[in-house]
Amino acid sequence: MSRYPQRVLEIASGIREMKIRGAGKIARAAAEALKIAALNYNGVEDLMSFKKYMVDVGELLILTRPTAISLPNAVVYVLSPLRGSSSFSEAREIVVRQADNFIRESEEATKRISVIGAKRIRENSVVLTHCHSTAAVRVIIEAYKQGRVVRVYSTETRPFYQGRVTYTQLAKSGVPVVQIPDSAVRYVINEVDYVVVGADTVTSNGAVVNKIGTSQVALAAKEARTRVYVAAESYKFSPLTLVGELVTIEYRPPEEIVPREWIEKHLRVKVLNPVFDVTPPDYIDAIITEYGVIPPQAAVLILVEKLGWALDVLGYGESKLDLKKIVGL
Amino acid sequence: MHRFTGSELAFSILSELYSVAIKSSEKELVKRILELKDFVLNERPTSVASLNILRLIGLYILEQGFTGVDEYIVGLREKYERSLERAAEIMSKRIVSGEVLLSNSNSLAVRKVLRHLSEQGKDVKIYITESRPGNEGLLLAEYAESLGFEVYLIVDSAVRFFMKNIDKVVVGAEAVASNGAIVSKIGTSLIALIAKEARKRVFVVAPILKFSHETLYGELLKLPEYDWRSLISEEEIAELPVDYRARVPLYDVTPSEYIDAIVTEYGLFAPQAIPLILSLVERSITSTSRSLEEVMSGLKALVEV
Repeated sequence: MSRYPQRVLEIASGIREMKIRGAGKIARAAAEALKIAALNYNGVEDLMSFKKYMVDVGELLILTRPTAISLPNAVVYVLSPLRGSSSFSEAREIVVRQADNFIRESEEATKRISVIGAKRIRENSVVLTHCHSTAAVRVIIEAYKQGRVVRVYSTETRPFYQGRVTYTQLAKSGVPVVQIPDSAVRYVINEVDYVVVGADTVTSNGAVVNKIGTSQVALAAKEARTRVYVAAESYKFSPLTLVGELVTIEYRPPEEIVPREWIEKHLRVKVLNPVFDVTPPDYIDAIITEYGVIPPQAAVLILVEKLGWALDVLGYGESKLDLKKIVGL
Repeated sequence: MHRFTGSELAFSILSELYSVAIKSSEKELVKRILELKDFVLNERPTSVASLNILRLIGLYILEQGFTGVDEYIVGLREKYERSLERAAEIMSKRIVSGEVLLSNSNSLAVRKVLRHLSEQGKDVKIYITESRPGNEGLLLAEYAESLGFEVYLIVDSAVRFFMKNIDKVVVGAEAVASNGAIVSKIGTSLIALIAKEARKRVFVVAPILKFSHETLYGELLKLPEYDWRSLISEEEIAELPVDYRARVPLYDVTPSEYIDAIVTEYGLFAPQAIPLILSLVERSITSTSRSLEEVMSGLKALVEV
């Protein structure tokens, strides 16, 4: 029998298998899992044992998906104050409180982004979005309510078709939306005034790691002089990249692209399924965060000012995320 | 059902008209030519090779009558086959062992390039996009695999991600316009833009028969668009909001500045030089200023009297 509550394991496998997806949802699910783990802890009631247990749960969660920084950021946010705790019961309270705070703050962040982002879109605009991003969808819906959006192109986003989720959410809010295949982005881009996408991770130099295809959408937009906005909550900024860490791009199983039978019949065809790509800062006009609109090159300001806590606990020059050190073990 | 490539459609039109020419009356042949013209214009207006074939056969009838039209069709077929082979062979010479190629869709010309490479014993690797809608990339991947090449299949969105690994982009075309732009499977123009950004060479393999005369006289090429049926099945759409709207273009236009060379049976040229090449080598085509519509109404008049 596992040391972890069943629900925690379900959340971990839900993230791994992409039943829970999108950087924001993953982060909130991880915070929720940490809270559940803390509340259901039934080991020795002493501070050290509890911290060790929480570090194990945190590592279990972080390992589920390698690319999105929101996951480790959420875990560090929830667990780092454990360093200052002095008793088991206080430590448990800290985890519960921090998890609740993270979930509340991240939801408020998305809302603030929608308000700020909508202002950036002029009246009667055509918007294009790629994949599914809660922050981007909320910006578009808010802008539509203010009469700023007349049409949205949503890419279907192979291999997982997250564009269908985007389509459904926009259509339910009454936004006129048209789905296009990913290959048709350059075909429609001349009609488009703004590209609005989300982010999985924003690096310290302002590059944006997002769903595969984002960088070519941004390139097509740049060629057509169409503005590119990235809607990203501050917990998507990666403190690790400031200390030189590379963002690992996850490759997922080929079965997500072609059926198993096809793969088995064509063993010499390698089906490559990278999930994310990197959009360079020069193709991004602005990143819309809950703290305001910044040029991508100013990403470091968000990192230093708003994720200072993460930098402190990581320690400058420390390039590996060491949860033990972070909780003071 | 597998969608014909531009060249496959041209060949099937040639086969069909040949059998009509030898089996049926002259009137039947003209009727079929006119029907096929309407079919291509409605269903496949970008397939310039098919339209050119219909025009050439029509011209033959108008100028020489019906005698020998069957042999003319056979000759046209052989000539087009040779043109494709020759263009593919010329392209294959530009590729050296160890290079990494990228292609999309399932162009017959590109398949012939691969076959030439295989016959020349050149070992290349090839990235192929699945090429939505239609997923013809899977067919090209199967063919490249059968020739023994190392094949990587990727989604259309992953082109920029992998472009740094690529040496040359090699694609086919449905049509070549008079300004050197090409019409090809949707997504080709994005691939070419990405290649340009990464300073990778882009080659388009297209026999001269794909040159659109209409564009020379200012006509725009019509690009057909499909609806959601080419993206999603009836079962899947049940989960989406009612009146699910999709816009599914099948072809796009790649401007000449993103193309390093168009490879024809007469050699490898800058795309901007295409009209010049045409006037130098294909006098029989450029010397006739008769448009497809003129030829077709001439044919119509022929059977109506």
